[in-house]
Amino acid sequence: MSFLLPCPNCGPRSAYEFRFGGELRSRPQPAASDSEWVNYVYTRTNMNGIQQEWWYHRDGCGKWFVAERDTTSNLVEKTYWIEEIIR
Amino acid sequence: MSGKGNRLSPQASQQLNHSRSVTFYFEGRPVHALEGDTVASALLAGGRRILSRSFKYHRPRGLLCSSGDCPNCLMEIDGKPNQRSCRAPVQEGMRVLSQHAWPSLDHDVFRVIELFDRFLPIGFYYKTLHKPRLLWKIAEPIIRRLAGLGRVRDDASPAEYQHRYEHADVLIVGGGPAGMEAARQASATGAAVFLIECEPELGGHLRFETRTHKHEGKDRPGYEIARLMASATTALPNVRILVGATVFGSYEGSLVPVLQDQTLIHVRAKSLVVATGCHQYPPVFRNNDLPGVMLSRAALRLINLYGIRPGKRVAIMTTNDEGYFTALECLRKGIEIVAVVDARSTPSALPEAAELRAADLPLFTGMTIREALGSKAVSAIKIGSVADDSESSKSVTIGCDAVLLSTAWQANASLLLQSGCQLGLDRVLGQPVPVRMSPGVLVAGEVLGLRSLKEILRSGRLAGQGAAQWVYLKTNSWWDEVQELLVDARAKSTSCGIAPTGQSKNFVCICEDVTEKDLYQGVEEGFDDIETLKRYSTVSMGPCQGRMCSRTSTEICGHATAMDLGAVGTTTARPPIVPVPLGALAGPEFHPVKQTAMHYQHLKSNAQMMNMGVWKRPFLYTSVSEEYEAVRKYAGLIDVSTLGKLVVEGKDAPNLLDKIYTHWMSNLPLGRARYGVICDDSGTLLDDGTVARLASDRFYVSTSTGNIDFVEQWMKWWIAGTGWCVHILNMTAGLAAMNLAGPKSREILAGLTDLDFSSFPYMGCREATVAGVPALLLRVGFVGETGWEIHFPAEFGEYMWDALLEAGKPFNIKPFGVETQRLLRLEKKHIIVGQDTDALSNPYDVGLKWVVKLDKPDFIGRHALQKMQDQPGQNRLVGLRCLDDGRPDDGSAVVIDGQLAGRVTSARYSPHLNTYIGLAWVPAGHANPGSRIGFRANGKLHSAIVIEKPFYDPEGERLK
Repeated sequence: MSFLLPCPNCGPRSAYEFRFGGELRSRPQPAASDSEWVNYVYTRTNMNGIQQEWWYHRDGCGKWFVAERDTTSNLVEKTYWIEEIIR
Repeated sequence: MSGKGNRLSPQASQQLNHSRSVTFYFEGRPVHALEGDTVASALLAGGRRILSRSFKYHRPRGLLCSSGDCPNCLMEIDGKPNQRSCRAPVQEGMRVLSQHAWPSLDHDVFRVIELFDRFLPIGFYYKTLHKPRLLWKIAEPIIRRLAGLGRVRDDASPAEYQHRYEHADVLIVGGGPAGMEAARQASATGAAVFLIECEPELGGHLRFETRTHKHEGKDRPGYEIARLMASATTALPNVRILVGATVFGSYEGSLVPVLQDQTLIHVRAKSLVVATGCHQYPPVFRNNDLPGVMLSRAALRLINLYGIRPGKRVAIMTTNDEGYFTALECLRKGIEIVAVVDARSTPSALPEAAELRAADLPLFTGMTIREALGSKAVSAIKIGSVADDSESSKSVTIGCDAVLLSTAWQANASLLLQSGCQLGLDRVLGQPVPVRMSPGVLVAGEVLGLRSLKEILRSGRLAGQGAAQWVYLKTNSWWDEVQELLVDARAKSTSCGIAPTGQSKNFVCICEDVTEKDLYQGVEEGFDDIETLKRYSTVSMGPCQGRMCSRTSTEICGHATAMDLGAVGTTTARPPIVPVPLGALAGPEFHPVKQTAMHYQHLKSNAQMMNMGVWKRPFLYTSVSEEYEAVRKYAGLIDVSTLGKLVVEGKDAPNLLDKIYTHWMSNLPLGRARYGVICDDSGTLLDDGTVARLASDRFYVSTSTGNIDFVEQWMKWWIAGTGWCVHILNMTAGLAAMNLAGPKSREILAGLTDLDFSSFPYMGCREATVAGVPALLLRVGFVGETGWEIHFPAEFGEYMWDALLEAGKPFNIKPFGVETQRLLRLEKKHIIVGQDTDALSNPYDVGLKWVVKLDKPDFIGRHALQKMQDQPGQNRLVGLRCLDDGRPDDGSAVVIDGQLAGRVTSARYSPHLNTYIGLAWVPAGHANPGSRIGFRANGKLHSAIVIEKPFYDPEGERLK
């Protein structure tokens, strides 16, 4: 797992400096149905291709960001703060 | 074994220093060598022919490749097993032992196994020796002892390896003519070049060539060209060169690791030029593994680098022009050639061939070797017609003591494959060539299938240019230019192949003793795909990793299944390309250790220290009973600096804490602390701690020792994207903390601070000066006595520790450690997350229902916890008190009605109750107070009773 992750703050660093935070998903509303909650808690898309996912720069700036990584090649296309896609 | 008989007179091309002799020991006896020799070359110079015994049949094996590509020269050198002696430079006093032969290399008793080869066909261990089952139990250890290579010594001293990290614009792997030319070209553009060569000198195959080429205006022998180019390359600006360094893989993120002696270098390069050359592999004929049968380049190395004659009467087998150059080489050095066997039916038109004919050398065309004869070394070969391979066809026997083979080439293309490039079989060139390259990866030299020096140098220039273009422009036209080169090369190629015959003792895989017959049998048994055939036969799975056999096995597979060679495919090349010691991968041993500000005070008190993650904590100072008594009767002091400490600040801090904790936090009054639990959205308990409110927008959060990083990350993640104004500050290292607990703690503290204790209730928090140091005091009761956690700047650690102990002296204060704390909290039935809970525990099952506030509109875990309160879990965490003299332990099994029903998570002897107590997971049906359960300790069954209230001070009177 030696791919490089370009941290939006610090630039490209070894993947081992980071902690993986899972796929980007939307949390259901508190009043959502049971099946929506079960789906949120227990199932994942597990993309074969470009996946939007969370990473935390543990050995660096200590910030969470979103990366778009191709799961077949581990090439990270882009990284950005979550604020850039959530208004 | 004659002494000097095998050394030729000193040659200009040699890498030996004739004035420096070196003595090393082989199987206990001294061997005289010259500086520059390798272990194998020195042994061969002394007349030794057998270098090892084969894996399965213990057949004698001699030098085959002399380039580190085959398994024949593996020996134990200075205690390290499986060293390639053809690559190991001799050193004074070196101790070399043969492997896998008993009692000696020359007389190996286990050769007798070969007599039973009929009973040991391919995959025999799947078919025999397991009915009855007992047979395998007996057979397996025997087989393991008899097979195998090398042994790991118990007394081996740990090697120390270093790690280095390098960056380069252009990384060139291979310092032969192509690599050096690429370096020259790339460096001219100003790119930072890194050139890596695995041999001790630059030069590649030119080092052992005396054939002349035009270079810088004159016709020069190869080795002279190698030296000129090497010194020119060394003088280049911005080119770093490493020799004796091996690249062993290509990984994601352009990571290319290099192993050089005791250093592992992680190289990240913008572009990669693979100029790793190629190697020869042997054809298959009967007894093709006899000592004396070697590749033609091995012979050239022996002659030109070490001045050793490969034999006295040499036969040469070839399918290309290289064989003729080799023959001439031997001729010029005065080595007798008994035959040149060319499988091609048209005699070569080379001037070299004419020279050989003029010298009256026996030249056989259209013939190939059918068999090598000899018992411990080759003594003759039988050759026959290529066109007619039937048993009855005529054959000629030729006496010889060395056979030089030049029949097939294989590119050293592993790095290309590992970088994602694709190779395809080029039938004209007779080897796989790159068909699709990964971006930023380029190829040059013999690895492309090029043979002539002119083409090789040109490909090097193109690659150097192309690599530099890639670095600066992220694009290049290199690939198209290379195609032209390949077209020219194909036009000149004249090699041919030899069809397999499928017999036994025709060795395909010399590492694993797999013969042609084995492979045909494997295909017949149904393993007709190269992938399954490989795994069933273990062909190409030995030390050579397919370098000597993968093409041959693919051909045989194609032949046996009547499939086109291109369709058979090849198996995957995986790193590492060469064996890499685990110590090299691990690197230097760095074990980070965290010490609290009071660490040295604990050492001074002779505390027994323990590890809690990376932290060092005092386990015990004197004894549990002494420390326990002090806390319960007087006062105790414990260093709790390792607890996580977070300052959560901002106008949205209350919102964040309400979201994260299951309890209400936004309504926490100023100056109060509250116990809180963090869950995830599945309702699982993740951590617990206290939250104290210091201001309307400032909270002080504590977490358990092991979870501080997690909680900080968790909180930050939940903030992301919310737009909340809240910041997390990790103060764990900046603040030290102590817990002063016991009936006398108030009196002790009163003497050190002006705080008004009458208005400091249980679960309150105050900022005050203690012993002159600004501190935060939390009145909490983890150990069940009146007490305060004192948090203060870490630089006052030693001073505060001493101040508290000094002030407490008249009151019999004692420091206490983690072990005593464990007991004290256990008596109060306080859980420790991670000890008493696991990855499936929820707050309800551990008795923390009061901490879950479902009247909060939303918090993490709310939905799941709401469901759980209606559907309680199958198991409960309960307190238990031992009813007999049993001594449960952390992890003891809970037994009910003779069945395993749960486990004890924490257990200690309670001085208060004079019996053992603990916390345990039990089935819900047995969780009611008063239920009897059993547990297993020291092999015996004991009984206990379920307790609901804390064992000590159940109503919490002492805390008020």
